[in-house]
Amino acid sequence: MPESIPATLIIDTLKDTFREARTALAAEVSEPPKHSHLGWILSVPDTHQKTVLAALDKEEAIRTLTCATEDEATTIAAGLHIGGEPCVLMIQHAGLYASVNTLRGVGMDGQVPIFYMIGLLSREKDKDPSESRHSMVRYAEPLLDTFGVPHARLEGPNDVHLIPDYYRLSRARKGPAVVLVGLETI
Amino acid sequence: MADKKTHDVKPHDVKPMKPEEILNLIHANRGTAICVPTMTTGPHWRTIAPDDLSVGCVGFMGGASSLGLGLALAQPDRRVLVLDGDGSLLMQLGSLATVAGAAPRNLVHFLFKNGVYHTSGAQGIPGGLTVDFVAMAKGAGYRMVCAIHDIGDFKRRLPEILKSEGPIFVELHTGLADQTPMTARGGVPFPKQVSNLRAKLLKPRA
Repeated sequence: MPESIPATLIIDTLKDTFREARTALAAEVSEPPKHSHLGWILSVPDTHQKTVLAALDKEEAIRTLTCATEDEATTIAAGLHIGGEPCVLMIQHAGLYASVNTLRGVGMDGQVPIFYMIGLLSREKDKDPSESRHSMVRYAEPLLDTFGVPHARLEGPNDVHLIPDYYRLSRARKGPAVVLVGLETI
Repeated sequence: MADKKTHDVKPHDVKPMKPEEILNLIHANRGTAICVPTMTTGPHWRTIAPDDLSVGCVGFMGGASSLGLGLALAQPDRRVLVLDGDGSLLMQLGSLATVAGAAPRNLVHFLFKNGVYHTSGAQGIPGGLTVDFVAMAKGAGYRMVCAIHDIGDFKRRLPEILKSEGPIFVELHTGLADQTPMTARGGVPFPKQVSNLRAKLLKPRA
């Protein structure tokens, strides 16, 4: 049975992920950007991850930019990547559907590493997403499979290692990678 | 500097500027700025600024301002110049608010306004030339906005535009470019542009 994940655990994991990304970049290039923050969250607010977003409001080590659309968030991520900044997109499944052309153009054809955390709003706790009565829950994984985007589910606190794992995977594959947030965070 | 006087000039009241002349002036004055061309600004830009600090918005129409915003936030000590189109901006109009909300001091958003989707056959954009992008950018919260109709005026004001605090929005009333991405295909593929610019900015260790 899936469990909700505390916001603090996700934020601590994001900080570790950003620290690792900066260390890796510093080893790779001679002029990495010098900022006081660790990294960026590009958000089109997701009900499922709202406790994380609320906690991020008080975080100085992570900068959060709210975007008007997921298309923008995906493309801003490309600019941040080119400029050497680590970032994570936090959106919901409806936003994934809304922005698939940008996912294709920027992430896949453009070969830009982009890491998404996508909330499965309305996912029933006692059902596999493939059996949900909500199409927006059912179609997320099949859509990602159609596009060949690697994905995994965060189904509880023990799964947060998937955040750095899939962040690294997006860099290794030079393309998008996704973790799906199974239940509303707490 | 919302320029009410020039902004109120009706479409076709004055001869539109040639996009190529505008791009030549931007290129001559840009210094070390990163440039983000899109659609019909692309073909001429790559002839005058090949293999430089540029990355074109290709394959995701409407994304130029967001791509520029990401670059501006990552590289705050360097100017970023977005060379956008009116049809393109309409596809992601909300980006005006996102740019203004992020308030990058180093971003200049040039809008080449010709009233049509030139690349796809010059069909009119919704609202045509009457769409008031200056008012939209001002309403979204850009720090400085203006419309420019005359190449001499543009040449005179460009140095100030390039050194003022952003985000800055400049609506440029233009005619059609000589080439579009459909008539002048080619150029460096987007993934290669990404890796080239990233290497120039970050300097990979040998």
